[in-house]
Amino acid sequence: MCGIVGYIGDKPAQPIVLNCLSKLEYRGYDSCGIAVSSSGIEVYKDAVRVAALRKALPQLDGTVGIGHTRWATHGAPSQVNAHPHCDCSSKITVVHNGIISNFQLLRRQLTAEGHNLISETDTEVIPHLIEKYYDGNLEEAVETALRDVEGSYAIIVLAAGEPKLVAARKDSPLIIGIGDRENFIASDVPAILDYTNRVIYLEDGDIGVVTTDKIKIRRDGKEVSRQEDKVLWSVEDAQKGGYEHFMLKEIHEQPKVIRDTLIGWVSVAESAVDLAAMRGGVESMLILACGTSYHAALIGKNIIEELLSIPVRVEIASEFNYYSQTLARTVAIVITQSGETADTLKAMKKLKAVGCLVLAVINVVGSSASRIADHTLYTRAGPEISVAATKSFIAQLMVLYWLVISYSEVDARRLADLITELRQLPEKVQQVLDNEDKIKEYASYLSKYENVFFIGRGINFPVALEGALKLKEISYIHAEGYAAGELKHGPFALLGEGTPIIAVVARDSTYEAMLSSIKEVKARGSTVIVLAEEGDEAIGELADLVITVPKVEAIFSPVVNTVALQLLAYYTAEERGCSIDFPRNLAKSVTVE
Amino acid sequence: MKQAVILAAGEGNRLRPFTVTKPNAMLSIADKPVLQYVIEALAQNGIRNIVLVVGYRKEQIFDYIGSGEQFGVDVVYITQKKQLGTAHALVQAKGATENEFLVLPGDNLIEADTIARFVAMKPEAMLVKRVDNPVRYGVVTLEEGVVKGIVEKPKEAESNIVNTGIYAFTTEIFGFIDEGLDIPDVINSMIAQDCSINAWEIDGTWLDVVYPWDILGLNDAILRRIPAKAGGTIETGVTLKGLVSVGKDTVIRSNSYIIGPVIIGDNCDIGPNTCLLPATSIGDNVVISPFTEIKNSVISSDISIGPSCIIQDSVIDKGCVIEGHFTAYSSQTEVKINGEHHLVNVGAMLGGGCKIGSSVVAQPGVIVGNYSQVQALKLISGRLPDKSLVF
Repeated sequence: MCGIVGYIGDKPAQPIVLNCLSKLEYRGYDSCGIAVSSSGIEVYKDAVRVAALRKALPQLDGTVGIGHTRWATHGAPSQVNAHPHCDCSSKITVVHNGIISNFQLLRRQLTAEGHNLISETDTEVIPHLIEKYYDGNLEEAVETALRDVEGSYAIIVLAAGEPKLVAARKDSPLIIGIGDRENFIASDVPAILDYTNRVIYLEDGDIGVVTTDKIKIRRDGKEVSRQEDKVLWSVEDAQKGGYEHFMLKEIHEQPKVIRDTLIGWVSVAESAVDLAAMRGGVESMLILACGTSYHAALIGKNIIEELLSIPVRVEIASEFNYYSQTLARTVAIVITQSGETADTLKAMKKLKAVGCLVLAVINVVGSSASRIADHTLYTRAGPEISVAATKSFIAQLMVLYWLVISYSEVDARRLADLITELRQLPEKVQQVLDNEDKIKEYASYLSKYENVFFIGRGINFPVALEGALKLKEISYIHAEGYAAGELKHGPFALLGEGTPIIAVVARDSTYEAMLSSIKEVKARGSTVIVLAEEGDEAIGELADLVITVPKVEAIFSPVVNTVALQLLAYYTAEERGCSIDFPRNLAKSVTVE
Repeated sequence: MKQAVILAAGEGNRLRPFTVTKPNAMLSIADKPVLQYVIEALAQNGIRNIVLVVGYRKEQIFDYIGSGEQFGVDVVYITQKKQLGTAHALVQAKGATENEFLVLPGDNLIEADTIARFVAMKPEAMLVKRVDNPVRYGVVTLEEGVVKGIVEKPKEAESNIVNTGIYAFTTEIFGFIDEGLDIPDVINSMIAQDCSINAWEIDGTWLDVVYPWDILGLNDAILRRIPAKAGGTIETGVTLKGLVSVGKDTVIRSNSYIIGPVIIGDNCDIGPNTCLLPATSIGDNVVISPFTEIKNSVISSDISIGPSCIIQDSVIDKGCVIEGHFTAYSSQTEVKINGEHHLVNVGAMLGGGCKIGSSVVAQPGVIVGNYSQVQALKLISGRLPDKSLVF
């Protein structure tokens, strides 16, 4: 998991490459490096973040450069393992995102042929392979070299004496940004949005040859044309706009994300995505996802089963890939924020192979998943920079609500009520945000503990899972989400004064059962923080602390409850002084299995 | 003059319940917050370097304005932790200012032309205006275009010229600011120390918002200059007269009658047989059911209004659900705010997230707190605090 960038134009490459790299840090940030070509090629790299590299660098001349921010897969974060990697003569440099699966074999061969490989990385074989085939035509050498390579890659190659950048991709994201007498290559769009919003999405197997004023794309030795897209996100979307962390900014954007989804409702219905196949005739559905998206999937199961009466099976993509199962030719919904999650992509290919209709719910336009899926529904969250997913989760839920409500056979009156309720939802979420100060107080209480359980039932059980995930990933408190009824099958042994419980309570059919769960937990001496609907006095008497959320229809309760738990996690992490946007050992989208 | 410092840290507690969850600069008028009109007027004059002093409910400003990119400006945020006064707010921005800069309140409506003429003046300068009721403002004494003194909210005004709170300063001002003072105090002490403050009188629109019904005045002023726009779907049999702006994905159903100026946001569902009269603005995601008539009112976003309601001279904040036959007639009435009595023409003022049952009658001048619930068939009057339950 890494971010790569390339620049070629009239301006000094160094500041532009570093700026783009800083925007890619969400993809990984354990090391970074830059190569700039002037008379020769100068490479600087280290196991530091981009800001530190920027300070350490001398001024580099040259208007062509590449850069890399790394997330270690092969070889520990270190200076020698950082990219760019070079060939023996230090004339060919490469930045790479992905995994070369046959690198050990290639490495032995290259070493036997006299090449001097110095790092532990898989990437280093690429510049040496290119060196081996290079006889004056860089793009041909790259093409030939990549024939030897198995695995996934997005690479940018810069060679001494070649006023061009050569880029190639297979199963890892890569885009070309078109400027005025300058061009860009990057892992994703936000990296280059400061400079241009005109982009070309490269396809698997494409080799791009980019000069100051020309972009050529080759495939199997022949030139092909690729459509130019205009990205309508503004650069602002990729900045923090007043907030201390992207995460808090993104949490606060959620009322807008919901409203945008509602506003787009009509237009989406008219789009090319024909979901008629889902109507009638569908006997079962499968939803696949990883991480936070998996929690959205569980909530999706709940609402689809309740409102459409279609049985739904939910699978974690990484598990799904490793057991042999009987697969019906069914409708499969795949949920992924980045559209690049390797496990999910692999599962999608498997689903397609058995003939499932694959519908992808994705936040990143043009991502790999959208190309595999039969239909894609984009969530309207905008770019999400914080590693901990917040607004993309809410946007996923909104798309699921949309899917269900647009195609539900629920009676018209219920539908009208649900739609009225949906229109209030942005304001209800805003109310949760307005209650921030109260949540902050509870966060400072929670921050003193090392173990926390989140419990919920029914549609709010996935909310408990999500609350626990948010807390553990950014505050490093050990948090577990549990179905409330399951606590007595084991975890009771862990309860006591040192282990607070956060109970997500909704006024639905699970209400009474939740009350008894809370009583059981209290009897074991644990402090209980309850997330409850406003005006619920019975809960007030039971709980030690109450976070109130506005009253909403039960099927929308995951939205307001999750937002409250996001804030709780954020402020707990802030209280503990954690690096909120870039938690240790985590990367935004996991592009390795 | 390339820089402006906008003071947007205050709450404006006389505007409650509308400012319980947002600063007064974020009051929504004709589908946009007042602050946006200020920023747009500056951007039109090429003033793109904006220092925003924020404090009370600053997140609302962050969420809406962001980096300013969307409005063609660059925004730097400065936080005033405690709202001790306008001069204290300005001093927070000291490190971020250039040699010359404008200072504007974030909650006043000002025209781009006025700014264009004002920036031609030599700092230190103050923008003044003649008004009918000077006693609610800082009354300014002038001598040949130079300020001789300001008296805040005098019992009896010596002139009808008041301070708009819009200034052009140089960094020299910081030499006169003591902690916790308001800018008029600083100006008085500058005058006492023989500094000359130029005054420039405007004839264009300048409106500030101090009381809830001021929102209606601002709305009226803004609606006078909106462009007509036809987004969404307008069914057959709809009559649109005057300037009417309809947002995207909005549906205006058959036989609705709309007389502009009226602005309707995105994704609204209006009618059939709904009547919207001047000067009404409606936010995004609003449903207005059949046979409802709305006149000279500000309806915010995410609101549902049931059938056969009559709403006049009213302000309804985000997320309210109003059932059928709600009546909010306007008439002249006395409204008490912070112990002051005001005689105004006004209907109902509803805070955000209220639920109003069917056939509720609102007496003119009623102010309902945020998230209140009123059961069907009730008569409401006076002032209801936030989260009131009327059963």
